[in-house]
Amino acid sequence: MIIVVDPGPLASVQDPFGRPGWRRYGVPVGGAADALSARLANRLAGNDENAALVEVSLGGAAFRIESAGIVALTGGLPATIDGAPAPAAGVRVRAGSLVRLEAGDGVRGYLAIAGGLVVEHVLGSASTELRARFGGHEGRALRSGDRLTIGTAPARPPSRWAGEPRIGPIRVVGGPHPEALAQLVARAWTVAVEADRTGVRLDGDRIGGSGEVASMGLPIGAIQVPPDGRPIVMLADRPVTGGYPVPACVIRADVGRLAQLHPGDEVSFALVSPDDAREAWRAAEASLSQLEPIDDPAGDLGWIGSHD
Amino acid sequence: MIRPFGEAALLVEVGDPERAQAVAAALASDRIAGIAELVPGLESVLIDLDPGADPALVASTVQERLEYATPHRVTGRRRTIPVVYGGDHGPDLEEVASLCGMAPAELAERHSALEQRVLFDGFAPGFAYLGTLPPELRVSRLATPRTRTPAGSVAVADAMSGIYPAELPGGWRVIGRTPVPLFDPRRDPPAYLVAGDIVRFEAISAADWDARAIASEDWG
Repeated sequence: MIIVVDPGPLASVQDPFGRPGWRRYGVPVGGAADALSARLANRLAGNDENAALVEVSLGGAAFRIESAGIVALTGGLPATIDGAPAPAAGVRVRAGSLVRLEAGDGVRGYLAIAGGLVVEHVLGSASTELRARFGGHEGRALRSGDRLTIGTAPARPPSRWAGEPRIGPIRVVGGPHPEALAQLVARAWTVAVEADRTGVRLDGDRIGGSGEVASMGLPIGAIQVPPDGRPIVMLADRPVTGGYPVPACVIRADVGRLAQLHPGDEVSFALVSPDDAREAWRAAEASLSQLEPIDDPAGDLGWIGSHD
Repeated sequence: MIRPFGEAALLVEVGDPERAQAVAAALASDRIAGIAELVPGLESVLIDLDPGADPALVASTVQERLEYATPHRVTGRRRTIPVVYGGDHGPDLEEVASLCGMAPAELAERHSALEQRVLFDGFAPGFAYLGTLPPELRVSRLATPRTRTPAGSVAVADAMSGIYPAELPGGWRVIGRTPVPLFDPRRDPPAYLVAGDIVRFEAISAADWDARAIASEDWG
């Protein structure tokens, strides 16, 4: 069991891929807001990469690992295991260890555990649909005292990540309504307070002349510009359709990095070609695969955990 | 017209909701390699691609398919949705009626006399966009959206009606409320109203709310 000691402002059970396939009934895809970080956490723990894990937003969260196992912590929140900084690796922990995810440069952190979390799959996914209140743990955000069941540990060994976090501007490709593309790319933006799993609103020199378009399906990363001229980047929990022009889309390789931005952070966009965007995706996938197996985590890393 | 939408999606612009549903259904039944999900909208279909797919190749396959045969129109079922119009259940009924230049009772009567078609599901799980309203029943959205619209609220905006399946923020004007559940993730399909269904609203009294709170058994 994992016991939720403190969920912080928002923690929920998610899986990296969410529940595609139900959007024609209005059901959002959902899943981890920074899916690449979530996939990495599962790989480090030796799990299938779509295993259910915990997503923590903003930090201030603590979890007690009731029985010995292997955990992996990724994303934008600094994490500790019994006070020691967690490496980018699967880490063997003793029964009773305390995992903390603190406030940091990013917004989302991931706690994966070997075996994954066991929750009922609803519409094919373990992820929590927070607004419609289904999936995940009882269809809601985690609360102090919640107990999360852990699945059977996988046969795969844990790994250490040898990749490099990506830096540099957020990259975009042109969207179906290119009229405002030049303004969007030329200007510097600031992340507004309205930033959550649904989307991130941007403040700055507003884009003029934007109207409405016929409601249409939105891919992840689509940047909608409503009539007030403040762009919104659509993320995992976005509604399935939207009725505002989309001058550009954040490329899939960079959607997770955008989901890690805090209100007040500055962001500007670099326009790339669709071919470059697909190449960036292949590079992101390749980076996820830069894993060094840890044959004996107990001997290699030493036992990190409580000693009482 | 088919055009790229980001690096791994296509937007097929078809012009109207019935054709969007027909195209999405036809492409889904063809199981075209590289297509991850089809999302019909009001005048278009979003094709989300597998990350490794070649958009140009999928676009040409889709183009050929649509030129080869006109997709069949999606036909649905008839659904009767009981509604308590006005009062606490429909806080905007009086204003909507006033904007349309008629008495609240007349607006309710005309709204429930219509056959409205489910154009597509969107916005939230199980939220059906119904259309289209005749010009004399059309009103704008609220200037300031509500932060909470109760589950079951029957609302109108521009040329469409909609029903909030859960408590949600919303800018549509609420003229009534239905006790019928509209979304259940444990059913297949999870939405009670799906594209192509023909919906008729039936005015009921608040006293009949409990008796009508169960969806008909033929959900699927």
